[in-house]
Amino acid sequence: MSENKITSDLLRGHTDTMILRLLSEADRYGYEIVKLIAERSDGNYELKEATMYSSLRRLEADGDVEWYWGDGSQGGRRKYFKITEKGKETHANNISNWEYAKRVLEKLL
Amino acid sequence: MNEKLNQYVNGVFAPYSGVKSVDELQADLLSDLQERFNELKKEGKDDETALEMTIDSIGDIEQTVQEVANLTRSLERQVLTNLSSSDLTNSDFAGVTAHKGKFAGSSLHGSDFSGADLTGSSFKSSDVREANFNNANLTDCTFSTLDLSNSSFNHSILVRTTFSKSSLAGVTFRDITMTDVKLTMTDLSKTTFENCTFDGVDFTNSSLEGLNLDHQTFIGVKFDKAGLKDVTFRGATLKNVSFKGPALSKRFYRAIKTICFDEARMDKLTYAALKGLEADLSKVTVI
Repeated sequence: MSENKITSDLLRGHTDTMILRLLSEADRYGYEIVKLIAERSDGNYELKEATMYSSLRRLEADGDVEWYWGDGSQGGRRKYFKITEKGKETHANNISNWEYAKRVLEKLL
Repeated sequence: MNEKLNQYVNGVFAPYSGVKSVDELQADLLSDLQERFNELKKEGKDDETALEMTIDSIGDIEQTVQEVANLTRSLERQVLTNLSSSDLTNSDFAGVTAHKGKFAGSSLHGSDFSGADLTGSSFKSSDVREANFNNANLTDCTFSTLDLSNSSFNHSILVRTTFSKSSLAGVTFRDITMTDVKLTMTDLSKTTFENCTFDGVDFTNSSLEGLNLDHQTFIGVKFDKAGLKDVTFRGATLKNVSFKGPALSKRFYRAIKTICFDEARMDKLTYAALKGLEADLSKVTVI
């Protein structure tokens, strides 16, 4: 992974939305989520396990995600996270909020 | 399964073990970390590097554990037990679950709470003499301004439990890992502590005169402004322990010199602070 990791609050503030995006594509398990975020950001953003689980637990409490036991590769069962209908709405909302903020920020920064 | 990884994670979660949501988080995390560790090994990293990178990927887990524990508390339906101002002398509460129970101003003399889960309960201004709290879960409980004389707390779970301004004469605390427990403004000179680990425990303004704290472990503990005359720490382990006196109190500084630290082990910080207070550290090992 790259040396200059962007660890700013700016990115961390969007953790929920990043996770919802990944889950809107497919059901995924914990390690898969952090790995995909590192890959897709070309190693520029490393989501910490702690941050991810904090976000997942919150999304679960809000009814945006659910989980179920799936089959693991090495014997153990894996916990798969799945987006709910409400989660899809939250994701769409977050995206439109971001588009709006981006337009405003581009004029201000 | 990588033993060191397991140990590390267990260490972080230890104070919260037993909280269902937290145990689940621990299992989720361990399975992720194991996979990351295996992948790093496959990439040709040695054990040590792989372990270091894996642990680094966790981030600020303490905060997440806290959040998850709090979230659970707000989600789980709370059994609210209000037994305030009741006469419950010699009652049997062994093994009960009474989260956030209120026992304010109650008479609980000789009551049996052994093995009970009393998380978040409060026992203010009650008579709790000779009560039995052995093996009870007393996480986030408040025992303040009350009489706990001759009660026992052996093997109990004490996390963020508050004992302040209470009478603890004849009380025994045996085989306990205390985490962030407050034992402030309390006379502990007739209290027994045996085989305990004190992590983040606060003894500020308490009297510990003549107390035997031999062979126990103190991490991040505060003995600020405490009465420490003739306390013994023989063979004890002290890390990051603070002994701050009230300004200009000759009594506090004189008392420090009477503490016995023979065969104790301590980190450099604690050693330096005590040396500055002219404590007798001739038989101390610095770790």
